[in-house]
Amino acid sequence: MIGISLRSLLSHKLRLALTTIAVILGVSFVAGTFILTDTINATFTSIFATANAGVAVTVHGRPIAGQSGGVGGGQNHPIPTSLLATVRGVPGVNDAVGSLFREGATLIGHDGKPIGGNGPPTFGANWITDSAISPYRLRGGKAPTQPSDVVVDAGTAAKNGLTVGQSLPIVFLGGVEEHFTITGIAGYGSSDNLAGATIALFTESTAQRVLEGQNKYDSILVSAQSGVTDVVLREHIAAALPSYAVAETGQQAAAAAEQSTESTISTFIGTPLLVFAFISLFVGSFLIINTFNILVAQRTRELALLRALGATRAQVMTSVLVEAAVTGFVASILGFVVGILIARALLSVFGSASTGGVTLLPRTVVIAVLVGTIVTVIAASLPARRATRIAPVAALAEALPETQPLPRRRVVIGLVIFVLGCAALVTGLFTSAGSKLQLIGVGFLCVFLGVALLAPVLVVPVATVLGWPVAQVRGAPGILAGQNARRNPRRTALTAAALMIGLALVTCVAVITDSVRVSTNDAIEGAFRADFIVFTQGPDFNTQAAQALQQDPSLRDVTEVRGTSVIIKGSSQGIAAIDPANLGSVLSLSMVSGTASAIAASNTAIVDSTEATASGVHIGQLVTFDFPEGANVPIRIGGIYTANALVSGYVVSIATMAPNVPTERDAIVLANAANGVSLSQAETALHHDVKSFPLLMAMSRSEYRTFVGASLDSFLNLIYTLLAFAIVIAVLGIANTLILSVLERTREIGLLRALGMTRSQTRSMVRWESVIISLLGAVLGLAVGLGLGVAVSGSLGALGITEIAVPGENLIVYAIIAGVFGVVAAIFPTIRASRVDILRAITAE
Amino acid sequence: MAAITTAGASTTATDSRPVAARTTDAVKEYGKADAMVRALDGITVAFGKGQFSAIMGPSGSGKSTLLHCLAGLDRLTSGSVHIGDIELGSLNDRQLTMLRRVRVGFIFQSFNLVPTLSALDNIVLPLTIAGRKPDAAALAEVVRITGLGDRLKHRPNQLSGGQQQRVAAARALASQPEIIFADEPTGNLDSRASTDLLDFLRHAVTELGQTIIMVTHDPLAAAHADRIVFLADGRVVSEMHSPTADTVLDVMRHLGD
Ligand SMILES: Nc1ncnc2c1ncn2[C@@H]1O[C@H](COP(=O)(O)OP(=O)(O)O)[C@@H](O)[C@H]1O
Ligand SMILES: [Mg+2]
Repeated sequence: MIGISLRSLLSHKLRLALTTIAVILGVSFVAGTFILTDTINATFTSIFATANAGVAVTVHGRPIAGQSGGVGGGQNHPIPTSLLATVRGVPGVNDAVGSLFREGATLIGHDGKPIGGNGPPTFGANWITDSAISPYRLRGGKAPTQPSDVVVDAGTAAKNGLTVGQSLPIVFLGGVEEHFTITGIAGYGSSDNLAGATIALFTESTAQRVLEGQNKYDSILVSAQSGVTDVVLREHIAAALPSYAVAETGQQAAAAAEQSTESTISTFIGTPLLVFAFISLFVGSFLIINTFNILVAQRTRELALLRALGATRAQVMTSVLVEAAVTGFVASILGFVVGILIARALLSVFGSASTGGVTLLPRTVVIAVLVGTIVTVIAASLPARRATRIAPVAALAEALPETQPLPRRRVVIGLVIFVLGCAALVTGLFTSAGSKLQLIGVGFLCVFLGVALLAPVLVVPVATVLGWPVAQVRGAPGILAGQNARRNPRRTALTAAALMIGLALVTCVAVITDSVRVSTNDAIEGAFRADFIVFTQGPDFNTQAAQALQQDPSLRDVTEVRGTSVIIKGSSQGIAAIDPANLGSVLSLSMVSGTASAIAASNTAIVDSTEATASGVHIGQLVTFDFPEGANVPIRIGGIYTANALVSGYVVSIATMAPNVPTERDAIVLANAANGVSLSQAETALHHDVKSFPLLMAMSRSEYRTFVGASLDSFLNLIYTLLAFAIVIAVLGIANTLILSVLERTREIGLLRALGMTRSQTRSMVRWESVIISLLGAVLGLAVGLGLGVAVSGSLGALGITEIAVPGENLIVYAIIAGVFGVVAAIFPTIRASRVDILRAITAE
Repeated sequence: MAAITTAGASTTATDSRPVAARTTDAVKEYGKADAMVRALDGITVAFGKGQFSAIMGPSGSGKSTLLHCLAGLDRLTSGSVHIGDIELGSLNDRQLTMLRRVRVGFIFQSFNLVPTLSALDNIVLPLTIAGRKPDAAALAEVVRITGLGDRLKHRPNQLSGGQQQRVAAARALASQPEIIFADEPTGNLDSRASTDLLDFLRHAVTELGQTIIMVTHDPLAAAHADRIVFLADGRVVSEMHSPTADTVLDVMRHLGD
């Protein structure tokens, strides 16, 4: 029997080709994601290992509450420079050096623009003179000795044409430019660069000044005397340390950095990409089911004959599944290879392909092959089950009816899955439990499955409606196109369902983005009172900008808004701080109870009503905030307001927050035009002021509104790109179904040709069938996506998403694009159909 | 009595009625070199307008090939085919399609109907393809004589074999073509259904002046024709006018020698 399935496989090469492509695409996405993240991780691992080679023990402060994760490790509290002497005095220590290493030194390139834009982190650090410990290796020039000296990393220098002796402007923490002279170029360990980040190295006193780390180190790096092991030395040092500091061996530190890096990369790159990879595979499985269904239908006689000759059901089932497994296996291997190419391409996009090679772990091969093969076999098991139900007498029957009525059981199962999916989705959206995302994911999956199962019921009515205008415009080809789309509702439904998923997700995201857009616009028009906003797309900036604006007579109500994360009732949450004096002039919060100015009282917060309800907080209550500086501060709730898209969550005064956070950083600065100064005059003055701050942007309300819109558009574009795989697979699925249908209908097409249908009419017939299938997918996708989008948007009340908006134009464009996809999918099938040999068709037996 | 001409390499319509379709030195070869089959070996034959002609001959004698070439479904290797005044060899695919659409009707042995269309839609299909409106009166007449009135809404798989062939015949008539070509139209029917269909075709010729050229190997079927052309090995070997089943059997026995 296995021999039979393999022979059948070879004879159906063409028919399986598109299935194979679908599996290849899905698997390559999965494999590519793993290879990409593995490669990035491996790059960091080797960097950390070589950079820490001379470090026996690292001493640093305790982790800052709520700020775990991040490339290279979570943020720790700085330690005083005086600790260095303590460490040096520990027996067994050969040498110890203090290191200040922080984000916030942005180099300005020759073009006057920040190097790296808003991409990789921009580190500043002190030069470490003990070369046995230092991760920095001088490649050229000399170490910094003067306050205006800087050494830059070799990777950044090479990429941006920086050479020793040049003057280099640097911006610290979003402030004003300072000018330095490049005295040297250094590598980081044995590599040029810390995986794309920029590193600027200064003398210790300069580093402390520019990075706001006066008398502080971020860590102390220790080398051991010979004969003293890292572990022993760590114990000695730990015993000598005050309670605010911890000691790790160099290996532990590297491992911690690695782990933190890995989890950051998986959170921001790996997991999102995998979600989209699995969407592609899910869509691909529809194509696989359809192909095998059609193959089984076409082989009905052959399979029935085998049954008549004594093959058992199990043998028939096995023969189909073996065919699927072999197809899946071969496609998975190819998918893995394509995945390597995808990972390479993405690495060069991310700009860190300097090492060239990619990391191929055995785990990736195993997952790729297993996922591809298993998905194919599972998808083919439905058709395989159908194959076992073929009665031996079918071998003798003239021809089988093409369509079987839809079993009621299937409708019931579809409904049940759909309703359960909706329930899971709604529960997931409105719960704050840890299983939130899983529930939402399962909800989406079940909604799609349910609709796919129910879709055959919708095929006849929807195709009839869609087919009517086609028939009017296109005559006989149009009529036949509609009939053909309806003749096998399950096949049409499965084909359309694959497209539905992609379109539903696109629609869902479009609805969410538009809801955010409209809610934000509402907030800008309503809650937002300030004439101007100053902000950055990078990390929060120091107070230089706010101070400069305060000096400007054209402006008034210059108000800093700061943010920090605190731990409230065990979970980390972002809170905002604002100066209560100007609060009313720059923001107008609609209060449910209490007043916004209540925050003027020390240790008092206002909170939005959604958050208050969710965490059972009421006015007058004391809530404990666990601040980054370690203090547990009881905060009294002084008012409850309605969230909007710009302001939500807890808000306190700057005076309340400042003592409890390590640094003074502004997230945004708001300002109004001064009395008697026109808006445009004030704007000119503002832009003039902000010009000295290369990382900051200043905008009027309407500019800000446009800016938010553009950011949302680029987010939407990113989603389109990520869903492109799934949509390409769905379009392949349409092409696949049509090619198989055309092969199946050879005689019929030949008959039509004999009766006077021209080649172009034949093409038109197939093309319009394709368009009808695509539009069916569009109708389902838009409807489902609309539902999902409205549900998700409706659950974002806590983020101030109060308006639910439907981007009508986008939806019309999606439907038109779906129709165009139908035309594209039909290209090959139409060629096939128009080449049908009339004589072969009508004389064939 | 039947007039029999044997051994004539070529035949023409003996009476003076105008010619609906004819071939001159028609040769059709399949394959190449060693494997070459000469399905038509120089056939010159003409079929009269308003006549019911039958083409008979043993299996593999070239009957279907001749019919396909006459109907514009296939091209000759050499020689010429005319339908009316039109020489088919000079037409491109599109022109041939138009010719089939406008001037020709077909009844095949099996798989005549589009399974997704109702009987009525199948009957008017060539008109629909051509973007023409069926002539209501003519259509009603066709439907009446085929006796399909109560079956028009049915799909082909809800019709018996005989009914399906009558739908095919009605379709062939509905577009009022110059010629109807039928390839073994009764091949899959029982004798009762065959007789019905043949009576219907006969009626179309006699009452409506339709021209029909039918391939058959059934003497009873051929006996409904006005004239029979006998083929063997790709050549015309005999012909007969006003046949009866008995005379046809005589000739077949004779040719079988
Ligand atoms: N497409 C083809 N390729 C090769 N040979 C063919 C083809 N069609 C018909 N023939 C050959 O041509 C000859 C005549 O065939 P056909 O016209 O079908 O005969 P009939 O209809 O009288 O049985 C036969 O020998 C047949 O094998
Ligand atoms: Mg034949």
